[in-house]
Amino acid sequence: MSIEHHPTDSLLAAFAAGTLDHGQHIAIATHLVSCPQCRAFMRSMEQVGGVVLTNLPPATMANGALAAVEARLNEPVRPAAADMTPTVPETEVPGLPKFVRRYEFGNWKWVAPSVHLRRIMLPYASDTRVFLLKSGPGTKMLEHAHTGFEMTCVLSGAFSQGGGHFQPGDFDLGDETVHHKPVVDSGQDCVCLVAMQGDLRLNGLLGRIMQPFVRL
Amino acid sequence: MPAENDASKDRMQWGRLIRAIATDQNRAAFAALFEYFAPRIKSFLQRSGANEASAEELAQETMLSVWRKAALFDPESAGAAAWIFTIARNLRIDAHRRDSRGGLIQTSDVEIEFQIDDSPLPDSRLALAQSEERVRSALSRLSPDQVRVIELSFFEEKAHAEIAKILEIPLGTVKSRLRLAMSRLGNLLSELS
Repeated sequence: MSIEHHPTDSLLAAFAAGTLDHGQHIAIATHLVSCPQCRAFMRSMEQVGGVVLTNLPPATMANGALAAVEARLNEPVRPAAADMTPTVPETEVPGLPKFVRRYEFGNWKWVAPSVHLRRIMLPYASDTRVFLLKSGPGTKMLEHAHTGFEMTCVLSGAFSQGGGHFQPGDFDLGDETVHHKPVVDSGQDCVCLVAMQGDLRLNGLLGRIMQPFVRL
Repeated sequence: MPAENDASKDRMQWGRLIRAIATDQNRAAFAALFEYFAPRIKSFLQRSGANEASAEELAQETMLSVWRKAALFDPESAGAAAWIFTIARNLRIDAHRRDSRGGLIQTSDVEIEFQIDDSPLPDSRLALAQSEERVRSALSRLSPDQVRVIELSFFEEKAHAEIAKILEIPLGTVKSRLRLAMSRLGNLLSELS
């Protein structure tokens, strides 16, 4: 099974430069877990970072900067405080980056017929909401657009949208200009990781009726 | 090109200096790395929006991390400059987080957020081993204008409108130049790998 839908080069470059919002970082990292090709490009962009660094005109360091750092070289290193114990086992949600599985997960909640959502609590401030979205086999999602961007990475199952077929590892970016109307494949639930900024706008009469109840 | 050969020798030298720190805590090696990299890290941080004092502090912290993490440097998988760049990048992300929590000292482990490929394909490792030279070679085939717009956009975090002002070119040109530069870079990297 090969991945057909990738993040743009610019998103991968911003990931490598470390300038993405944490929620976006998680969505791209999830794609990178299953895509060696994008991983290689991202690592190349880290190399570009190294080249950029060496090409910069040097700034002037404070007087005694080297001595100040040398005085600290023998300081004991504080032990890594990070707790690496995953809260969600790999078998439960395959395809998530390791660091995300250490985060706190909410419970599955009903959001629409055969659609459930599970929040992932981010440990750092982010204007992006990150959650898992599980849709039953054959679900036709309501046509929608976004007031901000929405990044989706398929974890299991598959859906079709706008002539494309999205399988595990595939990445999709939606924004104000894209109107989504995904249809989930039959046979299996489709679970996606979604990073969303702004609100979801459902189009059509049914959407407008449901909007107040769908709190995404 | 003698200048290019010198530069290439310098780059091999950095890797050796990092290993000298790892194997026998060589302070002269550290001083040499500090002299070259600290002012450039500071410059990088100031260009991406840090004020003078915090750029100075983070540049010093980065070099301290170079000393502490030297044993983790793997010349097979990263160039020395890229490795130091990622340390500076991670500390900058960490500093942003502390700022947004009102200066509360709680260090996050940013490094693990970039550890994605812990089971790389056998052939990707080979590609990585050459990647610094490969990336330099790809960059050398872009025009200086194209390299500049990549630097400004991704590494100095400038918005397109700001880049238009800095380079004194129309906004549309910024967007098309960046798009072209990224697609050429992508093509060159896959050709050279």
